[in-house]
Amino acid sequence: MKVLTAAVYGCVLGAAATGYAQSLDDLNIQIHGYATQGFLYTTNNNIFTANSSDGSAAWTDAVVNVSAQPIPKLRIAVQGRYFLLGNSGDAVTLDWAEGDYKVDDRLGVRVGKVKTPWGLFNEIQDIDPSYIWSLLPQGIYPILSRNSFLAHYGGVVYGTFKLSPKLGKIEYRGWGGEGLYGADNGLFLDQTQSGINLPNDGVKGPLWGAAIHWRTPLKGLMVGASDLKDNQWSSTATQAGLSGTMTLSPNSQPNYFALYEKDKIMVAFEYERNWNNELLQFPGLPDSVQRADDRSWYAMASYKLTEKLTAGVYDSQDTDHQAPLGPPRYQKDWAISGRYDFNQYLYAKVEQHFIDGTTQGYDMDLNPNGLKPNTKLTVLKVGVSF
Amino acid sequence: MKKLILSTVVALAATILAASARAQVVVIANPSVKASGISKDDVRDVFTGNSSSLKDGSKVVPVLLKDGPANEAFLKAYIGKGDSAFRAGWRSLVFSGQGSMPKSLDDDAAAAFVAHNAGAIGYINKATPHEGVKVLEVQ
Repeated sequence: MKVLTAAVYGCVLGAAATGYAQSLDDLNIQIHGYATQGFLYTTNNNIFTANSSDGSAAWTDAVVNVSAQPIPKLRIAVQGRYFLLGNSGDAVTLDWAEGDYKVDDRLGVRVGKVKTPWGLFNEIQDIDPSYIWSLLPQGIYPILSRNSFLAHYGGVVYGTFKLSPKLGKIEYRGWGGEGLYGADNGLFLDQTQSGINLPNDGVKGPLWGAAIHWRTPLKGLMVGASDLKDNQWSSTATQAGLSGTMTLSPNSQPNYFALYEKDKIMVAFEYERNWNNELLQFPGLPDSVQRADDRSWYAMASYKLTEKLTAGVYDSQDTDHQAPLGPPRYQKDWAISGRYDFNQYLYAKVEQHFIDGTTQGYDMDLNPNGLKPNTKLTVLKVGVSF
Repeated sequence: MKKLILSTVVALAATILAASARAQVVVIANPSVKASGISKDDVRDVFTGNSSSLKDGSKVVPVLLKDGPANEAFLKAYIGKGDSAFRAGWRSLVFSGQGSMPKSLDDDAAAAFVAHNAGAIGYINKATPHEGVKVLEVQ
């Protein structure tokens, strides 16, 4: 699969080089990008591997996107990213690199390293300029695991069927290929901190899924569902000189969602269930199994107060039904958010979270005295895009 | 009763403003585009990147105006978003690998681009000369 991605990457560079020899206009070569700088402050626990209780500015995203369209139906594009959040990331990675052939509105195919279109926001969860929120609901879109869930090596088939005016439109997406959870995925934070190491390319294996979005006849209302399925994934693991294996059981991740956007209003709802069993085996040691059954939902709304100012609120809840009773079993998060667009390039965001429970986003290295059951989190962010 | 009158006045004012905005801009297409008219839904879908064809099957490639009075009038009348939100929507498509940003041109350049490129569709100030293009009636 990486060969395929390299081929796409090569095509983009080739197209760019050809473009200088011929005409940039003919190839429609475009360069876009964005960068954001965030600031975190928490009243109690340190969150997202940052020293947030002292205030932390260790939150940076910078993205560059290059695309070419040599013929109307074919688009070739590549996107790279620098990401830093607390002690996580601090690396440049390939977001995606794809060739996209769109026969018509009803059928298109993307191949390479492609965005995985599950859920309501996965395709844009990393694109900060796209929405009002500084942090999406963490039960479904955990930022410390984001880079692993954004894309896969393989393909996506997509299209839209216009039904009669009384029935609206159906958008479909189907995908398959190889997924990869990097060693720095937040999913493995507990293991990493207890001395279990994964290879740099993490745990990988086959995945596939499908999504349906129904654009209903009620203007602005879309309802949809998606399911992401993984086969059994495994990897070597090391601990205190021992070499063993980590195995993730076959997984299913159904999502159900609705979005209403009209004029100045946006309202959205999403529910997701995610089963995940993780087996660690080392010679001479008893097997260790971690079971998780996360059930998460959120309801959100925003309103455009003026041309430049938008305000929003969401309630997000996440419960791990396999966890022991108490704060580690759940997380409830009320967020109030505001975004101001200075112009089409520059914006600022402010967001206040009221978090109860500790199931998402915490690590024990930065909270050596244990976690308090609740915390308030203030986020400031400034972003620029072109 | 007062609330009913007030609501009626506000609704009328909004309708007049939208109609006034629509009156300032025309939607134009290259003569290769078969359609002679376009629905408001198609205008919104084509210029937000959700569709690349019209109801009659004509394939189209949108071109946008740079920010200015005609662009604002168009967005107000047909898209329901300000310029920042409109371009943020296009950037979402770009950064998620779902599309390319259309060209953004001045009125004269947009009219010339549409006239010379098969399948091109755009919008311009009604007063801008637009020979060589067809004006689509928005139904």
